[in-house]
Amino acid sequence: MTLALQLAVAGLATGSVYALIALGIVLIYKCSGVVNFAQGAYAMLGAYASYVLLSAGLPAVLAVLASMGVMAGVGALTERLVLRPMLKAPVVAVMMVTLGLLICARAACLAVFGPDQIAFPPVFPEGAVSAGGIFVTYNYIAAGILAAVLSLGFLLFYARTPMGLMQRCAADNSRAALAIGIHVSNQVSAAWAMSAALAGLAGTLLATLNGLSLGLADIGMVAFPVVVVGGLSSLEGALVAGLVLGVLQSFTDGLLTPALEDVLRANTGIYSVGALQQVLPYALLVLMLLLRPQGLFGRRGAERI
Amino acid sequence: MSTRRLLLALAVAAVLIALSLLLGRFGAYLVRAVAIAGIGALSLNLLIGYCGQISFAQGALLGVGAYVAGNLGNAGADGVLALLGAGAATAAIGALIGLPALRLRGLYFAIATLAAQAILEYLFKMLEPFTGGVSGLVIRQPAFFGLPVASDQVSAAVSVLVLLITWLALTRLTRTNLGRAFLVVRESEVVAKGMGLDVARTKAWAFAISGFVAGVAGGLIGFAARLASPEAFTLDLSADYIAMIIVGGLGSWAGPLVGAAFVVLLPEAIQRVGEAFDIANLLSALRELAFGLLIILFLIFEPRGLSSLLPRLRWTQRRQTPGAATGFGERAGAAVATKGGERP
Repeated sequence: MTLALQLAVAGLATGSVYALIALGIVLIYKCSGVVNFAQGAYAMLGAYASYVLLSAGLPAVLAVLASMGVMAGVGALTERLVLRPMLKAPVVAVMMVTLGLLICARAACLAVFGPDQIAFPPVFPEGAVSAGGIFVTYNYIAAGILAAVLSLGFLLFYARTPMGLMQRCAADNSRAALAIGIHVSNQVSAAWAMSAALAGLAGTLLATLNGLSLGLADIGMVAFPVVVVGGLSSLEGALVAGLVLGVLQSFTDGLLTPALEDVLRANTGIYSVGALQQVLPYALLVLMLLLRPQGLFGRRGAERI
Repeated sequence: MSTRRLLLALAVAAVLIALSLLLGRFGAYLVRAVAIAGIGALSLNLLIGYCGQISFAQGALLGVGAYVAGNLGNAGADGVLALLGAGAATAAIGALIGLPALRLRGLYFAIATLAAQAILEYLFKMLEPFTGGVSGLVIRQPAFFGLPVASDQVSAAVSVLVLLITWLALTRLTRTNLGRAFLVVRESEVVAKGMGLDVARTKAWAFAISGFVAGVAGGLIGFAARLASPEAFTLDLSADYIAMIIVGGLGSWAGPLVGAAFVVLLPEAIQRVGEAFDIANLLSALRELAFGLLIILFLIFEPRGLSSLLPRLRWTQRRQTPGAATGFGERAGAAVATKGGERP
């Protein structure tokens, strides 16, 4: 029982980071119809930016905020320079261009920081709390809470503020939004900036948990199953699916895999099922696409001929 | 396919095969790499360029081909048999991956193929008796029709020959009813249904045929590398192949070959330049960066690809034959574009 609780807490922490990245993907998809492969790259770049600023001696809060600011700039710039010229391009071309961005970002970080994992400077105080027989480091608590609060704050911003309303208008019907005087292209840029900033923060949080390496960019690929399970156009869905997938992954890693391996070892010649928790999101994704392609929270759209 | 074109193709192949037999080892290696990549790109072009189904699972499908052909070859099968077996197995897996496409469209299906890629990568690592697990499967080069493939030059010639057969078969295919059905499905599934076409069956055929060709290419990759390991068939490889058909020009038949040559030779060229400037430790980063930048720049500034660039530069007023490269490129783009904002 304590193990399950421990796993659930760890899962919720990583899950809320997934949610943060997935929110960015959904936001970009809603606003510009682009499925952004580069979201993982934003997370990685954000983490490296925080690392550079922290190493330069900035206080943790300032460094993280500044790296989010940098990432917002990067996001807006990619939208202006790369995505804007491709407004009328086929969907495969747009997906490919974001994949190209991911490749470039990874290569740039490889050239500057090298391929090895780097120890991330402490952002949160050292230490841990133990309650009810489980043991959680401050890192996990802080990352989980920060990510969850930011996700919720973002949802509120989107639902309640005037700018959130303008964003929703621009995403829903860009022509109508233009007609009532909303500067749609600025809203799209703003959406990219916000997504990149969120992803940058998520990357920094992930680096505090697992260390800093180029592998951080892979989180973008885990976020796709999250987004589809939640519904490609639903922000709430991304949040819920992120948490659910985080917990499921954690349980798979801690409970299911050892149990499965015991059974297999007793009955067959197979000794390991490998990184089962890494394929689990994709298996769920396939299941979801076959059973309910619009996702948990998505709406089924009408087809235009 | 007119007799003239057939003869032309045969002549080109004869010259290429003769040339690859005369090449040095490095030249033979390059020709083989380009030819194999060309086969894989032709297969993906059938799916994306002709049938409008975006797939990110090409890397994994090539892997399936490599593992199946490797196992068959190691078990003592003839090279031709091993390649055909690899093709058949990969066709089956390709059709399986295509199943969700019967319900999903455009974007959603592309994401489903992403999942297929991840799951197949996992299986490559897990199915140890068949794939050798994480360390990979060592493959012996089998004989073709009982004739041993002794040198890189001969294996380059074999690859060129397979490329030619694939090219002839696929260009012929697009002139059959099935090939035309692919185009209709690409343009609009609703129209295809209205015309009485069986959309599901047409798509299934596209996946199976494309999968077969991918399996053959994968088998050749396995024979050439003498090793099939999970990290050789990742999403990055899928990205390479999509880059090939985009750089070459979507939906044309010359495009994939031009793109394959470009994507394979570019890293080699950068390697040479890098060695000249003595920056060996930055090379892998530089190669990746150049590759990524090229994809981005091509998509922004030359979306119709290299194969449409040449004719436009040289014969701007040239009479367009039906099905000529430039025309298809444009329409392929337009068709996939309309699927952008679609829901499943």
